[in-house]
Amino acid sequence: MGSGRWSTDVYGAAASYRAATGRSAFAYSDSGARKVHERLDPRGVDVRESRDSDEHPRSTPIAVLFDVTGSMGNVPRTLQSKLPELFGLLQRKGYAADPQIMFGAIGDATCDRVPLQIGQFESDNRMDDDLGAIVLEGGGGGQRTESYELAMYFMARHTSLDSVERRGRRGYLFLIGDELPYPQVKPAEVRRWIGDDLAEPISVAAIVAELRQRFEVYYILPSGASYAGDPEILGYWRRLLGQHVIELDDLDAVCETIALTVGLGEEAIDLAEGLTDLEDVGSTATGSVGKALATIGSARGSVVRTDLPGAGLDTDGPDDGLIRL
Amino acid sequence: MTGDGRHTIVVDLGYGDAGKGTVVDLLCADGPVGAVIRFNGGAQAAHNVVTPDGRHHTFAQFGSGTLHGVPTHLSRFTVVDPLALAAEAEQLNALGVPDPFGLLTIDAEALLSTPWHVAANRLRELGRGAGRHGSCGMGVGETTAYALRHPDAPRAGDTLDPARLRHRLAAVRDRLTDELGELGGPPLDEVVSVFRAFGSIVSIVDGGSTRKRLLDAGRCVFEGAQGVLLDEWFGWHPYTTWSTTTFENAETLLAEAGHEAMRLGVVRTYTTRHGAGPLVTEDASLTAALPERHNGTGRWQGPFRVGHFDAVAHRYAVEVTGGVDALAITHLDAPDRVPELAICPAYTLDAPSGPTLGRLVPGGRGDLAYQERLTALLGRARPARLDRPAHWASAIGALLDAPVLIESYGPSVTDKRVLGGALAA
Repeated sequence: MGSGRWSTDVYGAAASYRAATGRSAFAYSDSGARKVHERLDPRGVDVRESRDSDEHPRSTPIAVLFDVTGSMGNVPRTLQSKLPELFGLLQRKGYAADPQIMFGAIGDATCDRVPLQIGQFESDNRMDDDLGAIVLEGGGGGQRTESYELAMYFMARHTSLDSVERRGRRGYLFLIGDELPYPQVKPAEVRRWIGDDLAEPISVAAIVAELRQRFEVYYILPSGASYAGDPEILGYWRRLLGQHVIELDDLDAVCETIALTVGLGEEAIDLAEGLTDLEDVGSTATGSVGKALATIGSARGSVVRTDLPGAGLDTDGPDDGLIRL
Repeated sequence: MTGDGRHTIVVDLGYGDAGKGTVVDLLCADGPVGAVIRFNGGAQAAHNVVTPDGRHHTFAQFGSGTLHGVPTHLSRFTVVDPLALAAEAEQLNALGVPDPFGLLTIDAEALLSTPWHVAANRLRELGRGAGRHGSCGMGVGETTAYALRHPDAPRAGDTLDPARLRHRLAAVRDRLTDELGELGGPPLDEVVSVFRAFGSIVSIVDGGSTRKRLLDAGRCVFEGAQGVLLDEWFGWHPYTTWSTTTFENAETLLAEAGHEAMRLGVVRTYTTRHGAGPLVTEDASLTAALPERHNGTGRWQGPFRVGHFDAVAHRYAVEVTGGVDALAITHLDAPDRVPELAICPAYTLDAPSGPTLGRLVPGGRGDLAYQERLTALLGRARPARLDRPAHWASAIGALLDAPVLIESYGPSVTDKRVLGGALAA
């Protein structure tokens, strides 16, 4: 009737799980892959969708795209190991109805082999598979610029979100990096990496404006990156995104930061409540998160609503734009 | 044959150890299988698989198709032991499976067994003295019993919530310590930390949607643990396991996803039992003649016991499961090696001249007093006679009234015959 063959030693198990983290998290990249994984290839993609379903009737799309070039140091690896917790955090505290999370990676289209990697919106562990399939470029241009604008172009033109189209509620896009975008979305790069024919370049400001019709866009500059705290870079992004620029001094707190930002955006919590929640779940990151979100937390006023025409089509509940969970 | 012939449920009709692992291994080698789904038991399962090139693994929580790269899904009916799982994964990694955890999804509702459950299980079993139940000492029954008493029993999904996890683990430690005295076991912090690592490495999923996706996508094999004669309701009480070992759980999971499956019963050409409890056909000379390569005397279970094929008990197993669509018969090489091996078609009670018993009448589900009376009855039973059939597979098929689909003559897939090619959908 069976056996007790396998060891139940707690220390041995801890070592095994630690070893497995190193083995599996970057399996694709660490196996020498220098080509975008087919699941993450933006080329020829019509749209990445976040859809409502019976199981997830009020989908909340959350996209996290991070810079994978060399200037980021070990940040991408830390992110890759931390981000899988994000989904659990969001769900547990009910900060967002039916979160659907997408991961992607940003490189430099002028010199990298894998300048753009974009996963799918997922509401289960498949998002972890996307993380594991990301190629860590490690190159980059060395000119304090990466192709954020190319990523923003994709997110603006190649996503389809039920939250926006059916309920007039924007999704969330987090860009995590340490450099500047190139000033324009270039038609040649769009053709090569995404496959669209653009008649003329698009300025970063124009693509951001288009993007913000669908997403609340945040830029996170973590510590440990080359240009952490750089006033020029912070200033540039602040001009572009206003208060949606987050300086984070503890990379381990990235999931908590994103979760609380979403919770604040959904008006599910205020900052003090969010920090108490973090303490409840045993997080040690409340100091860093509190500091990083101080501006956003105190300045929150209006409910997140889109100004797209066709907003407010939602008929399945009180439509005050605010869902408290 | 009922069912759509696509999915298969593999259930042991005896006391376990009939060869479910080797049968699942064969099914996974035979054609594309999307997943092996476990529907009962936990880390105490021991399903031995030997590859044609001689590699051997005792599958406990990973499905027996793992060496073919087939993913495993642990359903909510399983009890998950994160510590034993890590050790098993290490071994699979050493056998050439690059990322065993990557092949695993676990229902967030599955119960977790902890070091304190294990310790409590062992303390209770020691306390039974000579009346031991034959537990494996892995805490699976203890975990199940605890969950019945305490709705806040730790579950796989809790590992994603550090505060709730800590709270629930502390409650297990404290309640079991209050009940039984000092249990030992590692510090709470260590257990919380390793359970969190487990939660971040394995895929903890919504079971309903995951199973629907797996079952819609292609052929799945449901791998049972233990055997029907150890079933919590239909076994010889109290020598049973805290687990539903019949087709029932698997069919519940299938029905939820709108699917059906073929019911495949596995038997050996001789009847074995690991640990205490009735084994009417037991014969010490057979234990010596049929040494067990992968089963020895267990620290907690006691010796591995061997008897002639018990047709009476197996017919009872078929009857309480509601029938099988087909049989897999293993160890068909044994009768040639052991000339005295035979089949017991009926019992006599009390004396060779006593009344003959050919059928054990099943009781009502949940009537443990009745099951206890059956246990007492079996204590008075001896084989009425022992027959040596000319053709073992067809004789067993006739006695159990089911077609034989798989004949196994040895440990690896190359030692098996699939009859009628009925496995391909």
